[in-house]
Amino acid sequence: MVLELEPVLKDVISEILETMFFAMVEFKDCGREDRCFDYESEIELQNHEGRIAISLQLSEEFTRMITAGFLGVEENQVKDEDLLDSMKELVNMIGGGYSARINDAAWKLGIPRFRKIGPDPTRRAQAAVRLVLSYLEEPVGSAVLSYLPG
Amino acid sequence: MSYNVLIVDDSSSMRKIIWKILQLLGFELGECLEASNGQEALDILEGKWIDLILADVNMPVMDGVGFIRSLRERDICRDTPVAFITSEANEDRLHQLMDLGASGYIRKPFRPEEMKAFLRRIMGETDGPRIGTSVEGCDF
Repeated sequence: MVLELEPVLKDVISEILETMFFAMVEFKDCGREDRCFDYESEIELQNHEGRIAISLQLSEEFTRMITAGFLGVEENQVKDEDLLDSMKELVNMIGGGYSARINDAAWKLGIPRFRKIGPDPTRRAQAAVRLVLSYLEEPVGSAVLSYLPG
Repeated sequence: MSYNVLIVDDSSSMRKIIWKILQLLGFELGECLEASNGQEALDILEGKWIDLILADVNMPVMDGVGFIRSLRERDICRDTPVAFITSEANEDRLHQLMDLGASGYIRKPFRPEEMKAFLRRIMGETDGPRIGTSVEGCDF
């Protein structure tokens, strides 16, 4: 199952970042690395079989760059609320794109959440897929798909 | 003829992008109003004449389904064209929107030219929107 989920999540993230945020990322095998970035947005999907969460962590620099691309403005014109909003919109699109590709049951999308990551980030032990996103060879974020209890 | 347009989306970024594309299309825009959920949009519609509504589906407080359902119950807004711009992938929910009288929908992510084509189609129909013509869902 994990082997099927990983390429789907990669495809969805790549397509959305390229189409609407004008950024091309690569995915690296992160092994057990669990590096933290600056911002996190998350969305839950639910169907009759259960719930999953897709969480996206990105560095501030990369978030600012893709937000500028998304809004069609210069990076110095991007406000803090734009960063928050574009990260929520990005994970919302990833959730929608993921559920469209999996297509094995009627998924209901939740409302995306955003938080600035503090010094003691929470971690999900039961992550089914964990991807590291890199841009120009530098790690800029991670995406985690987790199964949620209940 | 200028169009009064209402954009309903909880994402301020998406609202900005939709405005930008509408302006680039060269349509003569009248009042351009924004709401961050369906309930806010209904409140705006109490006092404004709107020619076209572009709405998200997945929103807090009142989502797109609740919004168009409430809208169609109001005599004054019964025929106002409503098009959805959404990440929603649930086909049942999208069909529900069309059954409730949506003019069409486009799924995110979209390329700018796809969005332009979608809006041209929807805006083109607003010349005669009051006849209540629906178009097919537009899934790029």
